[in-house]
Amino acid sequence: MIMNFNTAAELAIVCWTIGSLLSLLASRTPALKLPAFLLSIAGSLVMAGFIVFYWSALDRPPLRTLGETRLWYAALIPLVGFLVEYRWKIGWLKYYCMALATFFLSINMLHPEVFDKTLMPALQSPWFVPHVVVYLVGYVLLAASSVTALHNVYLQLRKKGNKTGESVSHFLALLGFVFLSFGLIFGALWAKEAWGHYWTWDPKETWAFLSWLAYLGYLHAFRYKIDQSKLQWYLALAFVVLLVCWFGVNYLPSAQNSVHTYTQS
Amino acid sequence: MVVVRRRWFQTPWEFKESFFFTSVAVIAGFFIQFAAAGSGIAIPHLPFNAIALSLLAIIVLSTGLAFRNTPAVKWLGGIPLGLCLIVAIAFLSLIGGVVPQQAVAKSSLPAMLGLNQIFSSWPFAVTVLLFLANLGISLSWKLVPFKLQNLQFILFHAGFWIALSCAIVGSGDLQRLVVPINVGKANNLGYTMDSDTPQQVPFSIFLHDFSLEEYPPQLLLYDPHNDKLLMNKSQAIMEVHKGTTATWQGIEVLVLDYLPYALPGKDGIPQPSARATGIPFAKVRINTSSTQREAWISTGSPLLKPDAAQLDGFYLIMVPGTPKSFRSAVTVQDEKGHETMANLEVNHPVSFMGWKLYQMGYDEKAGRWSKLSLIEVIHDPWLPAVYLGFFMIMAGNILFFWNGIKRKEAVK
Repeated sequence: MIMNFNTAAELAIVCWTIGSLLSLLASRTPALKLPAFLLSIAGSLVMAGFIVFYWSALDRPPLRTLGETRLWYAALIPLVGFLVEYRWKIGWLKYYCMALATFFLSINMLHPEVFDKTLMPALQSPWFVPHVVVYLVGYVLLAASSVTALHNVYLQLRKKGNKTGESVSHFLALLGFVFLSFGLIFGALWAKEAWGHYWTWDPKETWAFLSWLAYLGYLHAFRYKIDQSKLQWYLALAFVVLLVCWFGVNYLPSAQNSVHTYTQS
Repeated sequence: MVVVRRRWFQTPWEFKESFFFTSVAVIAGFFIQFAAAGSGIAIPHLPFNAIALSLLAIIVLSTGLAFRNTPAVKWLGGIPLGLCLIVAIAFLSLIGGVVPQQAVAKSSLPAMLGLNQIFSSWPFAVTVLLFLANLGISLSWKLVPFKLQNLQFILFHAGFWIALSCAIVGSGDLQRLVVPINVGKANNLGYTMDSDTPQQVPFSIFLHDFSLEEYPPQLLLYDPHNDKLLMNKSQAIMEVHKGTTATWQGIEVLVLDYLPYALPGKDGIPQPSARATGIPFAKVRINTSSTQREAWISTGSPLLKPDAAQLDGFYLIMVPGTPKSFRSAVTVQDEKGHETMANLEVNHPVSFMGWKLYQMGYDEKAGRWSKLSLIEVIHDPWLPAVYLGFFMIMAGNILFFWNGIKRKEAVK
């Protein structure tokens, strides 16, 4: 199992690396553009293929442990980079995205997981996949928004105007917020079926609510026409709250009795 | 951008005043909490909570509409105050997300300030009340006059108002009780999480049968000197099936035979038996660098001690799998003669006369042999209202997504 993961991860990283290099060279040699794109996207397809294979080998969706969620980020984050390039003709984001995906896969290679097929009864629900996948997509979009905002801050410090970049970070945050809202409500509807109540202020719920509020605050500040360039700082930092929610909660004193702590294996 | 220096409390009020006002409200909330010696808020029951909430809705909406041009009301329903209140709610939630929400000594400072039950504390209540006022007033302006382009705003904000207010006010009517029942018995007494005094529920539950299914047992290597379980080479949890192989350094194990339900026979060799009494047995072949041998190992049960295989100072053991599913076959009956037979299972609750019944737990020490089932029964008359709010938020979000894309097109 681990052998297969390492092969897939290495193949994906090689695809992204060569794809990125070719893409950098493509500014001089336009003919390289297509192979660069195909190779980069092949990296994500390799990971997507591995997820499908892993899913069938496990007999359950690979969404239970932190390591398993990293597989999904690795497959999805580069796609956001390609989408942004396609939609706004901004090329640099995809490099960050592929680097981030490589980072996630490296963590998994350095810390091989225990391969465990079991799924506790509460997780055996039709809500499991939509709840987690909607959140994954939301996190991926907000990670991309945060990276874009950070890049915008960097440009500001070098006194370079960058209106397109600001609209990209805003739009990604808006999309991410929509997915967060769905994830939150799907979670509530599932909790009612599995645990009896839709909201119990479980630490993970509280932090999910906090991250939702962070982006709700952003959208209102944006609406109130607060200087967009100042809000880039906000967007860059808002992701920290999401990171606490994603895995930081496990280490907080409040989380000892949480139903959401990922299996630490 | 034109920067106009505005003095404190010079209209129109903005962030400074909003921040000041919100801080005062939160601090006042903590003072009330402290003065009340840490006791939280008791939410009234139906119909009083419904009347209070309707009054709040009417007051907020009519204030918003009647004084929509008054500077104070404009500020009360504006974004600056809204943002400050969002920050205040986030701040209080942060406390709730860091401080464990559990009972502590009543005289301690966290308890006096309500930090350990922040979501039913006065500061939270005061902030949420102001937030509902702010949200409601801004909503009233978009409701009248109604325009189709405001639909997204209305759905999202009204949905949030309804979900938030009904969830909080409705918690006064929420009843959650755990009913413990033994197989072959009926019970109509339930317990809340924080009291040992049983309360009567308006129906009785008869437990016909409790059954638990486990995942296959697992093979582990135990190191008694270090009291450690050793991971095998493939880093996989080894589920026991016929043909399973596992490798530790210098030790190879092959499962030759696997009996999920068996009992030891006269000659010591396990024989397949009934599901109710049998336990998992596995015949394993162990290869080390010097020897090869075969042995039967078992998980044990409350009545039978487990069999392990000893090798080179280690023990090869088999531990029961984790629960895969557990269910209770019950008959629910009330005094008026309504009756339902049902199978309760995790994630598959059953409704009965406005109540929902959940499979919650069992006697974990007895595991598969548990004769006790814990059924949680829940009555939440406000649930439809909260769900209405949820669905409005989701509908508003779909429009938000759609409009977001369209607006960008326009900018381009």
